[in-house]
Amino acid sequence: MLPGSESWEGSGPIGGASIAIAMAIDSYRYVDFATRQIMKAWAARQEPGVIPFTPLAKPLRECTVALLSSAGIARNDDRPFDQDGERQNPWWGDPSFRKIPLGTTEKDIRIYHLHIDPRFGEADLDVVLPMRRLSELAREGMVGRPAPTHYSTMGYILEPTELVEKTAPAIAASLHEEGVDALVLVPV
Amino acid sequence: MGLVQRIIEASGISTVTLSWMPDLTRRVGVPRLAGISYPLSRPLGRPGDADGQRAVLRATLGLLEGATEPDTYVELPFEWPETVAQARNASKDVPPSPIAALLVKQPWLIPKLYSGHIPS
Repeated sequence: MLPGSESWEGSGPIGGASIAIAMAIDSYRYVDFATRQIMKAWAARQEPGVIPFTPLAKPLRECTVALLSSAGIARNDDRPFDQDGERQNPWWGDPSFRKIPLGTTEKDIRIYHLHIDPRFGEADLDVVLPMRRLSELAREGMVGRPAPTHYSTMGYILEPTELVEKTAPAIAASLHEEGVDALVLVPV
Repeated sequence: MGLVQRIIEASGISTVTLSWMPDLTRRVGVPRLAGISYPLSRPLGRPGDADGQRAVLRATLGLLEGATEPDTYVELPFEWPETVAQARNASKDVPPSPIAALLVKQPWLIPKLYSGHIPS
């Protein structure tokens, strides 16, 4: 923990379990009031339980690594994330996922996420899904190889049933099919 | 994302999250977490800054070998090269999300967020 950390008390205004977590990073300074409320309410409803842990099976320099971004990235030849559905019901967010093959660039995609500024990732995809940087680190020898396929979800999901029951298991199955050893997740 | 991370980790794949909102991610309970003090919408860094992006990804990947137990959390030492006001101003013409617009107009709906009973 860095010096000067302040304690963050994670309870919501109407109660809920409280876990004090020392954090130096202020996640809320970049977002508006309403978004802050949404984030804090979501955090207050989480109950960690037992945390799974899979040790790395082999040295990182031999591992196949994949990326998963929640930026709502879809290729132009693929189905967009459903933004109209969210505009009609603001409590709902599209819980599906898209595959993004290695080599896809910002020219091939659009970002469908109504809670972020999509222009940064559309100008440079590595800002939200760093496939080129991962390939460079593979050439450097830090990791074995980038997976042939990477993934995107859209991060605004208040009701996670479909995300947990369908999307995550489908992504896990695809990762296993491609022999992926490690996954880097990038919430956006 | 934290929920997805848990499921994939439990399926036998090692996972690490790079999060600009690590307090939220940590509340879910995840095996490995790198926190970064960058603004939303650009977690790896600025567009075109390949060196900076690579440094962030390298530091994040380092946790895969470094972590020996779940809930391993590291705050990455990178600093965003703009003030908070500059970072927010860059996106000030992006319209508020549908839920943010709704809650500004009808703030009495905010407790619904905490109830867990999300309208379908």
